[in-house]
Amino acid sequence: MLLIKEIKKIVKSISYLIFVAAIVIGLYSQDVFHFNEQLLQEPQPGGRYGFKHEEIPEIIMPAALSDLWAEFSANNYRTYPIGFIKYIKLNESKNRKMAEILSEITGNKVEVILQEGKAAFDNPDNVTFEIGGDTMQQDSNGGFIINSDSKPQDNVGRIMLKVRGDMDYSRFKELMGLADSLLGGGSNYASDSLTRYGSVPLTYEEAKERYNLAINSDQVTGGYARLFSDYAGVMVMPILPVFLAVILCMKDQRSKMEALIYTKKISAGKLVLIRYLALVIAAMAPVVILSYLSNIMVWASYSGIKLDYFAPLKYDFGWLLPSVMISIAIGMALTELTGIPIAVAVQGLWWMFDVNLGIKTVSSGYSLFRLAPRHNAGAGSWFRTQDYLENFQNLVQNRLLFVGISLLLVMFTILIYKEKREGKFSGNVSFKKAVSNIRNCKN
Amino acid sequence: MDSIEIKGLNKFYGKKQALYNIDLSIKQGMFGLLGRNGAGKTTLMKTLATLLQKQDGEIIVCGVPVENAKEIRRIIGYLPQEFSMYPSMKVKEAMEYLAILSGLNKPEREERIDGLLKKVNLTEHCSKKVKALSGGMKRRLGIAQALLNNPKVLIVDEPTAGLDPEERVRFRNLLSEIAEDKIVILSTHIVGDIEATCEDIAIINEGRVIYNGTINKLLQSAEGKVFTIVVPKKELPKWKQQLSITSMHTQGNEVYIRFIADTVIQGAKVCEPNIEDAYMLYLHTSGVRDILSEGEIGGAW
Repeated sequence: MLLIKEIKKIVKSISYLIFVAAIVIGLYSQDVFHFNEQLLQEPQPGGRYGFKHEEIPEIIMPAALSDLWAEFSANNYRTYPIGFIKYIKLNESKNRKMAEILSEITGNKVEVILQEGKAAFDNPDNVTFEIGGDTMQQDSNGGFIINSDSKPQDNVGRIMLKVRGDMDYSRFKELMGLADSLLGGGSNYASDSLTRYGSVPLTYEEAKERYNLAINSDQVTGGYARLFSDYAGVMVMPILPVFLAVILCMKDQRSKMEALIYTKKISAGKLVLIRYLALVIAAMAPVVILSYLSNIMVWASYSGIKLDYFAPLKYDFGWLLPSVMISIAIGMALTELTGIPIAVAVQGLWWMFDVNLGIKTVSSGYSLFRLAPRHNAGAGSWFRTQDYLENFQNLVQNRLLFVGISLLLVMFTILIYKEKREGKFSGNVSFKKAVSNIRNCKN
Repeated sequence: MDSIEIKGLNKFYGKKQALYNIDLSIKQGMFGLLGRNGAGKTTLMKTLATLLQKQDGEIIVCGVPVENAKEIRRIIGYLPQEFSMYPSMKVKEAMEYLAILSGLNKPEREERIDGLLKKVNLTEHCSKKVKALSGGMKRRLGIAQALLNNPKVLIVDEPTAGLDPEERVRFRNLLSEIAEDKIVILSTHIVGDIEATCEDIAIINEGRVIYNGTINKLLQSAEGKVFTIVVPKKELPKWKQQLSITSMHTQGNEVYIRFIADTVIQGAKVCEPNIEDAYMLYLHTSGVRDILSEGEIGGAW
């Protein structure tokens, strides 16, 4: 009964309407209600099937070298040190160290690298790369043109950049790591990013295998539900529920209800748990409805194929629920602790950093501490189901960790609530005084 | 067993002591706790209501030590000095919500809520939103919610502050009615509230109980110490400095002064003390002179 009352309290508020509207707008902007425009196509022999990334040194080394050379010659490096894009310009000493790295990779002298780097920036036609037997030339826009047929006829006045024949791949990775360190980290040359250079076309067999997995393992709807979860998991669910939690926790304080409730018979544990559950239900309800709305739109397009009609529900609870749980738990714990809506800022910052930290892994990211795991694969890439299955264990660990932390935070909230109720803790008063003092200082 | 026993109660806020060695015995009926703002009344009320921890001393509420907060919450009802309810909730919804928190089951809720709303004369307003209620109605709703669990003890802290005279009278009568079978502790700085409702009272000042007894004894203690005198208006400043004035009023060029003193002065007449005089006398003997000499308290007599 109390659970229903608490849910009513939440959903019958303007803030909840805004919450739902924000979810709808956030998801609509990601096209999750137009999945029927992206249908699975069975690969046909002789077609193009897209690319995959593999750690093939023969492909990675020249591609990474050409990228590094382009950035070296412009002395303008793109990095993502804490997620946000950052352009780096090296000073003379670091520039020389970068030239030494390029020298070791290509076998050219450091002075030549330095000199040609400058010249290449002024006239990119002067540089030719070699990949296998083909040549690759930088155009005036900084892009590269691969010439399979033509060999450089005249190398006079030009520098030929190719990876030394005796370059060991592990040493190459070390050198790239050094380059990344020179740039302060977060560059494309970091060891975890190098495979991005190993882009190879999918074969028909591979494409067919992906298609079959999408049909058999995901039963089609699973792929769409996963894509929905990817968008909902990164765009809305790790951040919006914190607002609901903060508003509910501050409602007693703002309505001067605290003393009335504190002196009632109900235990702190029961009240906090029921409120937490009510918040989770209220936050999940629109997501479950929207996930089905999104998924249901493709059902008619796959008549004759066995679909998993519970897929949205599975992904809602397996993927999104832990994000909602952690967001609400942080909202409740920090609001009870401080009495101010600081949780919005804390969760907001975490969300922002998580999203930006994962900017290089938008297509797939399952690391243990990611607030928003990623698997951004639609029907065009046959949902990359194999990739998902290979990382499933990591995803489970990540989600379980967040559920565990959430429950610990709820227990912490119960403790704080109990202490406040009995007058043993008045931390919120201290926080308010501190905030008030800061405001006074500013004024 | 239906009594509250407080022995040697001390309470500190950090290094500042708020209550000093409080000893009180409160029996069934209305008990008034009178004192100035900041005297320590709310601290004492909150300690009784388990909202504050005591440092030392003993509090037994109807046989239950106050440390047993869970059991205490079952037998007390509390109306804090500053309170409200969720403004968007309807009166009956708010009562239902608090009844659930009080652990009442559905049949109990239905019976108790209707009865209490009738008792506090809010039945016809039960569909109104809380934010639409007047101050007096909110206080009555506050009393109703405090009675949801049919408590043995009702603690009301400054319940009449800000109410108009009609609502105040209505509220006092309501409390007196409730006190027929309960312990009702009424904390207030308004002497009229106590005078109209309580038999037993305690006066608290700066964290200390300076009087504990019946109203009659309080009045008796002030007999022969309250006087009136009529003085020219232009001499008022001089008399204000000399006397501990409890009230005064002007008529033409003369001022009628009511004051307390140990002995009569020339031109003054002894008069019958009222509760306010007696209260002032106790504050005065406790060293609280400023409010008397500055004429902050007092009125027509």
